[in-house]
Amino acid sequence: MSAKPQPGKDNFTRNLVIGVVLGVVLIMLVPTVISKQTKSSAKIPASVSAERGYGIVFNGDLKSVPVIDLYEDFQCPVCAQFEGAQGQYIESLIAEKKATVVFHTLSFIGTESIIAANAAACSADEDKFLALHKMLYQTQPKENSGAWTNEALVAAGGSVGIKSKSYKECVTNGTYADWVSNVQASAAKANVNSTPTVFINGKEADRNDYYDPARFAAAVERG
Amino acid sequence: MKAVMPWLGLLSRLVLGGVLLAAGLLKYQHLDKSQMAVRAYEMLPIAVANFIGIVLPFAEIGLGILIILGAGTRISAALGSLLMLVFVIGISQAWARGLSIDCGCFGGGGQVEPGTANYLPELLRDAGLAALGIYLFRFPQSKFALDKSPQSPNLEKGI
Repeated sequence: MSAKPQPGKDNFTRNLVIGVVLGVVLIMLVPTVISKQTKSSAKIPASVSAERGYGIVFNGDLKSVPVIDLYEDFQCPVCAQFEGAQGQYIESLIAEKKATVVFHTLSFIGTESIIAANAAACSADEDKFLALHKMLYQTQPKENSGAWTNEALVAAGGSVGIKSKSYKECVTNGTYADWVSNVQASAAKANVNSTPTVFINGKEADRNDYYDPARFAAAVERG
Repeated sequence: MKAVMPWLGLLSRLVLGGVLLAAGLLKYQHLDKSQMAVRAYEMLPIAVANFIGIVLPFAEIGLGILIILGAGTRISAALGSLLMLVFVIGISQAWARGLSIDCGCFGGGGQVEPGTANYLPELLRDAGLAALGIYLFRFPQSKFALDKSPQSPNLEKGI
């Protein structure tokens, strides 16, 4: 063996490297763990309830109707399929006051999910959440392609009739970024492991029913 | 053989360390997804799984760097192997229980459509990586490592 061990030589460099690596990992880990906690100071949009996992709630005051919790990510292609299959039905449930619907706009796919969820929250303040929600799924770009910027989301709002200055500021400033993080944290606590995930009255619905209008409606009516 | 082994050690370090580092960096970019992946194994209470989902990428990055550099080779390789064995257990139990999940080994993870999960290649890969770590634990001396002195004193005679 050419490199004879040298017992006298100390391991200063090695120990320094180990120390630095462990130190840096810990220094980065601690703030990350903290950032994943629910931020109680987060600004939340109208119609959001912390008790309902920070979701955007429709018909929250109705009694004795089914409660539908939808967990979705604006960038998730299967969520766009779900919206295509059930979007109209869900909107009709809301309009006819036949169900309480809670939208949980998750953001695990990437930064564009975060800004899209923020824009959706801004649109909720303008009473246009459902319109923007639909529009974003209809025009959904490829995941993390860079197509969704704050400017594009302001324009998307304009296309569904949100022209106000407050919406533009809300999107551009990322007003609800902390809220978006809270929604994600609360979905983690609810053990949501893929999107879309639908809970009906707190029970996870059968995935085989998601894309079949008749079976999904039956599942909602069963409660 | 004696002359080749330090080179084998180097190769093992680069493969095991490289895989850990790459896996850690990919997970680090999507920590929410990483938490999702750990939850989907349905082995741990949700709060614990969420915590592991954040810590694991950091642990993989740290171990990966140390193994590649050959700093504290024995301990870091042993921990790397242990991690791989934990993954083997996790994937095996998911397979045995009929869960349909993405292992989330290199980012990604969570539930997948039933029938699309493919566990065998993942198990073989992780078992192979565990074997590399065990080799390094047994024969920690390798080329271009930061470790200077042999950590196992009778290694020279032992081989």
